[in-house]
Amino acid sequence: MLDQILPTRHPLLVRIPGVVVMLAVLSIGFAWASPGFLSWPNLSNVLAQSSVLLLIALPMTLVIMTEGLDLSIGAVLSLASVSLALVAVTTGSLLLALLVGVAIGAACGAVNGWLVAWLRIPPFVATLGMFGVAQGLALAVSDGQSITGIPTSVQAMYSGTLAGIPVPILLMLAATLAMHALLYATPFGTYVFALGGNREALAFAGISQRRVLLCVYTLAGAMGGLAGLLLTARLNSGHPSAGIGMEFDAIAAVAVGGTTFERGNGWLPGTVLGVITIGVLRNGLNLIAVPSSLQVCCIGILVILAFVFEAFTGERTGAQV
Amino acid sequence: MIIQLPTATPVLQSQEPPLLELRGISKSFPGVRALQDVSFSIWPGEVHMLLGENGAGKSTLMKVLCGAHQADAGAFFHRGQPVQITVPSDARKLGIAVIFQEFSLVPYLDIAQNIFLGRAPRGRIPGTLDRKRMLAEARRVLDLLGMDIDPRTKLHRLGVAQQQMVEIAKALSQDASILVMDEPTAALSERESEQLFRVMARLKAQGVAIVYISHRMAEVFALGDRITVLRDGQRIRSLLPHEASPDALVQMMVGRSVDMTYPRHFTTPGETLLDVRGLSAASGIHDIALTVRAGEIVGLCGLVGSGRTEVARAIFGADPVISGEIRVFGRIHHGGPEAAAKLGVALIPESRKTEGLALNRSVADNIVSAGLPKLFRFGLFSPKRARDIARDIIARLSISAASTQVAVGTLSGGNQQKVVIGKWLAAKARLFILDEPTRGIDIGAKAQIFALVDALVASGAGVLMISSEQSEIVHVCDRAYVMRDKRIVGELQRDELTEQNIVLLGMHDA
Repeated sequence: MLDQILPTRHPLLVRIPGVVVMLAVLSIGFAWASPGFLSWPNLSNVLAQSSVLLLIALPMTLVIMTEGLDLSIGAVLSLASVSLALVAVTTGSLLLALLVGVAIGAACGAVNGWLVAWLRIPPFVATLGMFGVAQGLALAVSDGQSITGIPTSVQAMYSGTLAGIPVPILLMLAATLAMHALLYATPFGTYVFALGGNREALAFAGISQRRVLLCVYTLAGAMGGLAGLLLTARLNSGHPSAGIGMEFDAIAAVAVGGTTFERGNGWLPGTVLGVITIGVLRNGLNLIAVPSSLQVCCIGILVILAFVFEAFTGERTGAQV
Repeated sequence: MIIQLPTATPVLQSQEPPLLELRGISKSFPGVRALQDVSFSIWPGEVHMLLGENGAGKSTLMKVLCGAHQADAGAFFHRGQPVQITVPSDARKLGIAVIFQEFSLVPYLDIAQNIFLGRAPRGRIPGTLDRKRMLAEARRVLDLLGMDIDPRTKLHRLGVAQQQMVEIAKALSQDASILVMDEPTAALSERESEQLFRVMARLKAQGVAIVYISHRMAEVFALGDRITVLRDGQRIRSLLPHEASPDALVQMMVGRSVDMTYPRHFTTPGETLLDVRGLSAASGIHDIALTVRAGEIVGLCGLVGSGRTEVARAIFGADPVISGEIRVFGRIHHGGPEAAAKLGVALIPESRKTEGLALNRSVADNIVSAGLPKLFRFGLFSPKRARDIARDIIARLSISAASTQVAVGTLSGGNQQKVVIGKWLAAKARLFILDEPTRGIDIGAKAQIFALVDALVASGAGVLMISSEQSEIVHVCDRAYVMRDKRIVGELQRDELTEQNIVLLGMHDA
């Protein structure tokens, strides 16, 4: 009966604290330690550098909401990067490079989805396998070398500006809005919530779980391909190890953002903040000259802190459904 | 509870064909015939009560009706026309909506999204939702149920009663012509129940047919236009409320005792092994007092959800105890399961496959698993000693296993159950708590299990047995406690121990 007495809070007043507090603490700390941190060029740089991670962390949120995981996303990003770099170098066409990158990513994702949904292979195993396949293919396609001579049209995807705003930041905004609309304003989005929350409810509603799963993993792969384009533009080359470790950052960003890995509890704005928090952390550590190996360490600690934070301040989870 | 149903005009079955008719429905699961040749009709504007004990087949019938289970045999007719119901969407097209007891709700969606899961109104842009219409529609249904709550509230923030109301709202919003409700008031307060009954009256007036499963006698007579009693997967009778008294219905639900020999030798009980006083636990059970003595089998009965398993778990130390005292073999026990096992208490859980056995390990491994520290000195495992112990237990319990090394998962249900009991015998347990020991076991194996339990108590052990099969309790137990709503509501001595008495005590408002 206690449940009925407790007031229901406004839907927006949920769980913001964790990631916001961490972001605020880090920002204040770095601003104090390094005067250059709060300058506009630096902040704009942080955002632009976060763009690649954001593109894969957004769909990773959906994958995790379905009680899945995509360990292949970094390798898929690498594979897309070298493939589209080859296409871009030979044809000089941005559009073709984009299409090839997204198509290769989507194909890898679709295979993941098929393995998970139809063959019922645990996502951890299926995407781990895809990780190996994609990484190997990336090395084979590029012969283990960087692919250079990227045309300026592709480079502009990262370094260019539109109406004074850097293109990667525009891309981030577009991707965030699109993914937000997909998750919260379409029937598809509700099915994603249901996949993690109560699959039986989905079955009774007559919705095919498999097709939803396939879509989620394919989307993750396609976004990985798009991220591959952005990363190629940023590095000014296609590199077979470009995406190494990106799956770690993506999962970390989702976790830091307050998605709790259970019962379909996902929060997209949190993921965006999680990505920015990781970006701020890396940038700030660079400014105070912490080597990148230790930066990974710090991200790991951040993930654990996020969950510890959740454990102490976390909301009441309510009755089990 | 007082129930007023404003306009309960009895609807008589007319000359028209029924809205939905089920003919000769049968459904089997491995080892169980859940439904056997059940026929059942519903007319527009009637509330059809479905009565039966746990396991009588009510839930299976309901799941067949909504397409969640596929019937093995039988036919469906909608307004006299033959139809098929094999998947949930078939049922939905026929206008059948179901209010489930296990909620079909998604925790991190809001109320409106839950109500419209899978059939949300579409927006003007293809692939989008019409959020405004969804919220307005949800608001309308919630108002109908008198629920003053924002439809944008996330479901996981609601209490159980409110979730039940959302489940009801979800079914109502489908504008169904046949509404199936599985104990909808089990989680509701009186006020909410009355609101539901008012809505039901309105739906009746609109010609909606309602199938209503209930364990509350008062509801059966206040709401029902017709009553169908199921027992052991068969339809016993369909009748009008004025044709039956509560006693007669109970008689029908219970039936004559199944012909089965229960090997039991009653003796004078010895010292008290278990003494529980004023026990309340976090799981909701309240003020539980019971005793088990050596040489006794004590029954613990009541409906599913009445708190029987919670009592067992609290005694074993698996759930946090809030207050009260548990004495085992004269000593106060307040530790966890490990301490209980060490004392010699064995809990044999209902789901032996997930909680009681390691299915892909050998019989020997399973048999020694509960008593490892007692059986092996200095923490050193000896495969030979394990085999010897297993051989001894296999012989004593006449477990049919090819060897001590075959995987437990390959044995039959009855033999698996013997292995679970055997592992606690090997661990030298003296107090056994059995939770539904005969579920999913065929009749022959049941008799063997009871012979085994009888031998256990004859050798000085005590048994607390939870069972939904009242005939078992009646034949096997020295005494029995009956639970309702997380409390013990009565104790029946051997001479008062009849199925009628158990049902009467366990029923709500009977």
